[in-house]
Amino acid sequence: MKKSWSYNPSQPNSIPEELSESLTKRGISKENVRLLVKTDMNTEMVRCDNYLVVTDSELYIISGSNTLSRKNNVSIFSSKKLQSQFEELPSQNDTPAVFNIKDYENFKVEELLSSSRLVAKSKNDDSYVLIANMSNTYKNDMYNFVRYLNDLVQKGEFTPEKEGKHSKNVFCPKCGNRYVDPERKICPKCMDRGKVIRRTGVFFLKYKVQIFIILCILIVTSALGVLGPYVSSGFYYDEVLDKNGKFYGELLLVLGIIISTRLLNTIISIFHNIITSRIAANLVYDLKKVIFSAIERLSLSFFTGRQTGGLMTQVNRDANTIYWFFCDGVPYFLINIVQVIVIFIIMIIMNPLLTLLSLVTVPLVVIAIKSVFGHMGKLHAKRYSRSRSMNSVLSDVLSGMRVVKAFSKENEEIERFDSRSRALAAAEETTGIFSTVSFPSISFLLYASNIIVWAIGGWMVIKGSMTYGILLTFISYMNMIYSPMFSFVDMTSQASDSMNAMSRLLEVMDAKPDVEESPNPVPLTNIQGKVEFRNIGFSYEKNRKIIDGVSFVIEPGKVIGIVGHTGAGKSTLANLLIRLYDVNEGEILIDDVNVKDISFEDLRKNVAIVSQETYLFMGTILENIKYARPDATNEEVIEAAKIAGAHDFIIKLPDAYSTQIGFGYKDLSGGERQRISIARAILRNPKILILDEATAAMDTETERKIQTALERLTVGRTTIMIAHRLSTLRDADKLIVVENGRMPEFGTHLELINKKGIYYNLYKMQAQALKNIGIES
Amino acid sequence: MAESNSLQNIAAIIYITPENSKISVKNDFLQLELTAPNEEGNIETKTYDRIFLHRAFPFDHPYSYISVLDKDSKEIGMISNVDIFDEDTSLKLRAELDRKYYAPVIKKINSVKERYGFSYWNVDTDAGPISFTLHDTYRSMLKVEHVRIFITDIDSNRYEIPNVEELDHKSYKKIELYL
Repeated sequence: MKKSWSYNPSQPNSIPEELSESLTKRGISKENVRLLVKTDMNTEMVRCDNYLVVTDSELYIISGSNTLSRKNNVSIFSSKKLQSQFEELPSQNDTPAVFNIKDYENFKVEELLSSSRLVAKSKNDDSYVLIANMSNTYKNDMYNFVRYLNDLVQKGEFTPEKEGKHSKNVFCPKCGNRYVDPERKICPKCMDRGKVIRRTGVFFLKYKVQIFIILCILIVTSALGVLGPYVSSGFYYDEVLDKNGKFYGELLLVLGIIISTRLLNTIISIFHNIITSRIAANLVYDLKKVIFSAIERLSLSFFTGRQTGGLMTQVNRDANTIYWFFCDGVPYFLINIVQVIVIFIIMIIMNPLLTLLSLVTVPLVVIAIKSVFGHMGKLHAKRYSRSRSMNSVLSDVLSGMRVVKAFSKENEEIERFDSRSRALAAAEETTGIFSTVSFPSISFLLYASNIIVWAIGGWMVIKGSMTYGILLTFISYMNMIYSPMFSFVDMTSQASDSMNAMSRLLEVMDAKPDVEESPNPVPLTNIQGKVEFRNIGFSYEKNRKIIDGVSFVIEPGKVIGIVGHTGAGKSTLANLLIRLYDVNEGEILIDDVNVKDISFEDLRKNVAIVSQETYLFMGTILENIKYARPDATNEEVIEAAKIAGAHDFIIKLPDAYSTQIGFGYKDLSGGERQRISIARAILRNPKILILDEATAAMDTETERKIQTALERLTVGRTTIMIAHRLSTLRDADKLIVVENGRMPEFGTHLELINKKGIYYNLYKMQAQALKNIGIES
Repeated sequence: MAESNSLQNIAAIIYITPENSKISVKNDFLQLELTAPNEEGNIETKTYDRIFLHRAFPFDHPYSYISVLDKDSKEIGMISNVDIFDEDTSLKLRAELDRKYYAPVIKKINSVKERYGFSYWNVDTDAGPISFTLHDTYRSMLKVEHVRIFITDIDSNRYEIPNVEELDHKSYKKIELYL
């Protein structure tokens, strides 16, 4: 069993028992252990249990293997109590097993592709040494270890995190598997099903009356169903057709009964269907509403971490499955159980011997059905995944048709489609053949038990120990008992589908936004627009720092430019300010108030962003610009568009501001879309404006025009401009240079030029480029 | 001689060869001494204390088209094929690449249990028995050339099945669904 374990420095007792011997051998007492971490590989990348033990001055590597063995005199009742034994491996390579930590500095984790390693820089000759390897499973433990270790080396002490996320147990105590999301502590494997059903069932409470009616209807119909064979076979033959019968010759009466029960049945089932259709539609609507609003609440990171394209389709399908479970599955299941029991009792009363005979083939049939369904499920899954892969080719090619044509790759694409399509056809063929072979075979098995009952029953009728009517009734009942019984077999697979759907639903509902609004926000009125970044650290993925120790202050009304290479972390800074993500370290302040304490409404009202990714919703241009402020007047919209340089092209469109734009934005170019989104931000009239490569998709002339307009707009407004084209930033009061998530340079244009650092180089390069085409800058 | 405006000339990739370089190992890490034109175009010899290797085509060409980066992840040059170096150096380069692209080879699949969108695997690999978990099994399995599969688990560890068709029948049956 995989078990991660990391030493919690606040609990010295957590040193594993099995290490005692190894520690004693090295003369280390448990009290002296300052840090301890486990990895799963040695320096040769061989899997083993590798411990790093740090005392005040040394780092020891103890590598070996843990073996689990049962204690000798443990009773069988506590057989789960395994004892861990640690056996050291002899040192195989020249990497020393002891490091004097004072000789090293800058311990760090280097991430390879699917493993990581711990390295350190030697103080003697500045070279790096390899200390340990680990699979990525142990990476997070190691990052914590390194942080403490570096503190220990530099300051002689370290402060363990009180709420160490990683030092806590990230494995399910029940099954030993890792929690999928350590924050949620829900193990999908050991999930409490009852709880899932109860929680989902809440949605159905609204319809409890209708569900109760459905249950009643089902009881009535199944009672009628049980009565049916008796009336149509036993009663008919023995009482009506037989000379000795009580109702001999009264054909009309019997027909009347049969017709009226039939009619009653039909009416009830129509009624039943009306109710179920109504609940189905409303319930599916309820579920979708809940899920969609849950999704809207979530932070951006939820969407980047999941496949969102199919999310809504999934929601649809799940809602239907859940509906099925509660409205069809469970009631039918209950009714079927009752029906089976009742019919069974009737059959035993009628003839115990025949009852036994009729069940002879049932075990066989159940086994057959179970395996058929199992295999069928696999075949369907295969067919589904093949059709998914075929459809993905299809949509890929259709949306990339321009490229396909441009490189004349039609034949290759046909070939690619053909191979997927053929695979799908093959899967469909197998599925089809399998079902045509298997189901008749099962029917035949069933038929066999019918034959037996016919034969023995016929013999009994001839002998006179049973009437013909009873035999017929019996056989009808016998055939009635099969279908509910087999539905139980099928039930299991459908129930597990529903469980899946329900847990997915709860997953979305329970997903906690990482960025949460403060419950008691500080009101922001009349903001000045001072922005301060105080020692910001941020990573999208745990421990992989995108922003590291960035600090700066922007005075109200100033224009600040952020420059840096692509991927340096410029846009991330903007995303942090508007809280699309939250910082991991440090704080961001607006007018000396932490952004985390500002309500979303105040924050987004005062800070607007025009980003490089522009998204326009379905609707008119007007609606799209007004999205920022629905109460804006048409004049304001036009003014905003004018400033953004969008007005001129909008007015040339036949429908001008009422032009419908769709989700493919086929009508608008990249630059046009950008200008509309600038207009959107301008309309919001924020105190703080962020322009994230807002003019990158425009030609220089348009950019210049918009900039002149924006210049007027930025007066009195704190503006953060992000660009890689330095000319865009010529009017910035101060510039921030971002590189690899750090902020090596900060100052005015002149200061930075004189510094002859990164900015100077960037500037020189761009100036050189202009010179090359004959423009002196 | 290629034309001056050929792609090759414009791209001006520096190739690291036995003639212009010396690769050595210090404390388990690779060092490089390279004589090549610098940014201004002047030939100079520079020593890189640590170099990092990246495969340009990790699946198709594990030991060719290797990009060599310095400690700031800036490309120093490329190695067309590690075997152009002497045997000792070539082995060192291969070892470093193997470490970086470490992926245990799955020999046998003991069990795959699918639960609520996650699958729990128990496999035997060339590095011993391993258990791991995948999120969205279908998408966690990268198919290369139809039979070769790379599996990435939730901790982003990687595992390889070089040829699914060469797995034993029982193992194959367990993953057939996802292929």
